[in-house]
Order: sequence, then structure tokens, then C-alpha cells
Amino acid sequence: MPPAGRTRRRRPWTFHLLGYALVAPLGLLMLGVIGYPLINTVLLSLQNQGVVGSQSTFVGLENYAQALTDSALWAAIGRSGIWLFGNLLVQTLMAFGTALIIGGRSRWSRASRTWVLFPWVIPTVAVAVIWQWLSNSNYGIVPKIASAVGIDGLGSPFGDSALAMPALILMNSWHWFPLGAVVIFGALQTIPNEIYEAARVDGANAWRMFWRITFPLLQPVLFALGLVGSLWSFNIVDSIYLVTKGGPADASMTAPVFIYNKAFNQFQASDAAAVSVITIILLAAVAAVYIRAAKPKEDQ
Amino acid sequence: MTPRLPWARLPRLVTWILLTVVVIGPLYWVTISSFKDREEILRTTPTLIPTNPTLDNFRQLFTATDYPSYLTNSLVVALLTALFTVLVSFAAAYGLYRLRIPGGNKVAGLILVAYMIPGTLLLVPLYQSFAAVQLIDTRNALVIVNVAFTAPFCTWLLRGFFMAIPRDIDEAAAVDGAGPVRMMLRIVLPLLAPGIATVAVYAFVFSWTEFVFASQLVISDQLKTLPIGLSAIMGQYTVNWGLLMAGTVCTIIPAIVPFLFAGRYFVGGLTTGALK
Repeated sequence: MPPAGRTRRRRPWTFHLLGYALVAPLGLLMLGVIGYPLINTVLLSLQNQGVVGSQSTFVGLENYAQALTDSALWAAIGRSGIWLFGNLLVQTLMAFGTALIIGGRSRWSRASRTWVLFPWVIPTVAVAVIWQWLSNSNYGIVPKIASAVGIDGLGSPFGDSALAMPALILMNSWHWFPLGAVVIFGALQTIPNEIYEAARVDGANAWRMFWRITFPLLQPVLFALGLVGSLWSFNIVDSIYLVTKGGPADASMTAPVFIYNKAFNQFQASDAAAVSVITIILLAAVAAVYIRAAKPKEDQ
Repeated sequence: MTPRLPWARLPRLVTWILLTVVVIGPLYWVTISSFKDREEILRTTPTLIPTNPTLDNFRQLFTATDYPSYLTNSLVVALLTALFTVLVSFAAAYGLYRLRIPGGNKVAGLILVAYMIPGTLLLVPLYQSFAAVQLIDTRNALVIVNVAFTAPFCTWLLRGFFMAIPRDIDEAAAVDGAGPVRMMLRIVLPLLAPGIATVAVYAFVFSWTEFVFASQLVISDQLKTLPIGLSAIMGQYTVNWGLLMAGTVCTIIPAIVPFLFAGRYFVGGLTTGALK
């Protein structure tokens, strides 16, 4: 980058004014739609509101005491952990494999870079309908294929308390893996081919080249993808809510679904707020640990 | 890597077929199901191609349900979201990454923190705030929320595109006497076209698929967006799979068609934006 110091020092104050004016709309939106409601969540968690928007009084930390002793909350947080880890694992594997396939030079590979993103652009509701239809125990194609190869009486996994969570993780991964695939694909493109050539001359096999070259060079991207991807998947409500509503028998009740349910179905707005604050604190702690653990490797 | 033996291509071929089946298979199955009549859709031996293709499901969707109004609402909200996200994130990215205002790094840091805040958790207080300013049950409420959640990510995404434009251009333009506003609109904006396309597609898709806020902030039936409408059809006519399939197909197509045109920019843009 050329030294821009001289031009920058000469900048008049109108330059800065323009800069602030340009950033202001984003700042105001973030303050109004994210910052202010966040403060209100904390205030609401100290009250005893039922139906969203109804009258309420200050109750101090009562909601927190109640939430922290509620075993349903801890179970939901545990399920959120499984949901997060399952999604991260399945999506990363799917994304990595796909990135390698779509990275080829053939016309087929190039075309696939467009259609491989189809699952990501369609609404979650459509994803939910598609997978419920495919796995419908009476008419679905999946149980039919299963019975054709000798597995009979396969019911819909979404209605089975042991299978609901894995099935939702697979469904949600199908929806989101294309985004990761494209990002990893882009990162792979940035690795110069000469490095591989040199390694091949030295007699390295494909496995060695992957672990010694590809993987270390991709680490910064995988780190960012892991962090942003985890936060995104943690917060998902619609995928789960639309298919199982957290059931059967709470089998898929993750923390965000628990909160949504409390606020809008059980009409306990301030309890939902207290759980929200607890969840944000936990999430921030996990993210901090992750950044601390993964960051030093990224710094050169 | 040029395989010498024909069997060396086999694993690649298998993964190809697997990827195609995983991505296209479910979409194909839903699409052909939407053209099947009631009897065929429930037949015990499934057919790969409809034997009696019919448009009845689509006819019913457009005449007997509120689908047309859901479609209009979704289009209006998604297009407005894309427009405002482009305006807000381009302006912010220009200020943060090109003009480099003092304190800009702090704002950029806050943008990263904004990812961490789970949108769902803010639904209750947002509902209250929106009720106070009478935004509940309006399409504007959805546009505001969507832009607020897409613009931070898009600003960050545009950073990569700004980095790719050499600063010499700014200086050359400054020597020629171009002011910052002219420079932004006449020189930087055209160079940033792929970035703008990426951000627009991202915002459109986000809005098109958004469910949680749309389900609570809009109450009237005639203002509901497609995801909400489709979930209502799902509840009302659970047995009518053909209608549901037609509704699903018609929800997917408006998202896929613009993507077919801008998709290549998007893939290129997402990778440059996310990496630089």
C-alpha cells in the first residue's frame, strides 16, 4: 500500500464530517434495532410481565433465580450445545467436500457453483416442507427407498424423540452448507498452485499435502467461518419451530426455541427476557474462549 | 492433478453424483410432486415422472388461497430490504474503510459484536418498541428489521471490495479536483458493482427467507409474507400435499430466478468479500 499520509493530513474537516454522516444510518439502525432492545431485554428481565407489552412491576432478580433453577432451561442449553456442535460438524464436512468438487476447472464444475447454492436461497419454510414430504411415513420417498432395500416400518424421524434432533441437524445442514462451501471454495482458490507443485516434486502424497498445506492455509477462513457459523446456527429458531415446535416431548427444544415459546406461546415475556440475558452471557463466554483458543494460530 | 488411469476418476464421479442427488434431488422431487394429481401423489409406488401431469394444484393455490398477496408482500419487503441494505452498507463501508474516520475501528468492532446478538432474543423488546411507534403490522417494520440485521454483515462484506480498489485512484481523482462525494459516486461506486450485487442478493435472500420476525411483527393476513403464508397453508391443509408442493415450488422459484442471473457475481463476491 502506498504511503497515503501526506494526502490524509491535508484532509479538511468536511472530510470527517462526510465520513460520520455516511456511517450514521448504519449506526442509528444498529442502535435502534439491536442496541436499544438489548438494554430493554435487561430491564424487562427485572420485571414480571406476562403477555408481551402488558403492565408490569419491578421484581429484581426473581426471574433469574427462577430461570437458573429450572431444569428445563439447562436441558435446553444442553440441547443447544448438541445442535451447535452437530451443525458445525456436518456443515463443515459437507462444505469442505463440496468446495473440493466445485473447485474444478471443467465446465460442469463451473456451472455447479451456481446451483449448489439453491438450498441456501430457499426459505426455511420450504426446506421444512420439502423434508417433511420426503420423510413422510406414509407417502415419503425416503421410507419407500428404505423399504425397497429391506428396512421396513420407518416412520418420520421428526416425530421420533430419539431421531428428531439428528434429523433436524441434517435438514438444517442441507439448508446452510452451500454458504460455507462457497467461502471455503474461495479460500482454496487463493492458495497458489506452485506450492502444491513444489510439494509434489518433494514426493508428498495428497493426504500429506492436505494436512501440511491446504489445512494450515485455510485456518484463518475456517476460524472465521466457525465463529460466525456457530453464532448463526445457535440462534436458529425457524428450522426447528416449523417442523417439531421443539418436540416431540421437548426433544428438539433448544434455548432460542425455549425463549420463543416462553414469550409467544406461554406469554411469559419477562421470564423469556431473563433466559435471553443468561443465553447471551453464555454465548459471549463461549465465543471469548473460542477466540482466545483459536486466534494465536491465525496471527503471523 | 491429472489422473492417468481411468479408475482414478471414479471417486470424483461418485462425489459428483452424490452432490447432485443431495442438492437437486429433493428439489426435483417436490417439483414433480406439484404436478401430480391427488391420486398419484399418494400412490404406493412413486413415479419419477407424473403420468397425468396437472396444473390443478397451482390453479387452486392462486385462486383458493391468499398466495398472490403473500407473494406481493414478500417481493415488496425483499426489494426494499435489498435497496436500503445497499444504500446503508455502501455508505457505511465508504466512511469506515475509505475515508477512515477517527473511531472507525471501534464501529467496525461493534459490527462484529452485532453478529453475536441472537435476533430472536430481541423479539420481545423490539415488539414493544415497534408498538410504541405504531410500526406493528406494517411492511415497513419488516424492512427496518431486515436492513438492521443484514447491513452490519454487508458492510463487513464490502470491506474486501474496498481493499481491492487501489487508493491511487482516489489520489489521482483528488489531483484532478474531484470532491469526496463525486469520487464516491463516479469512481468508487462503478468499480464496486460486484460488491453491490453481492450485498443486494444477500439482503434479498435474507428477507425472502426470514420467518421469526415476520411471524410476530405482522398480524393482518393481507400483509403476511410468503414464509408465513406457506406455514399457514401447511397447517390448514395438511392433507393436501399437492397444494403444499405447488406453494413450495412457487416460493422457491422467485428466489432462484434472480439468483441464476446474479449468482455468479454473488459467488465471486462472497469469496472476495469474505477473504480480503
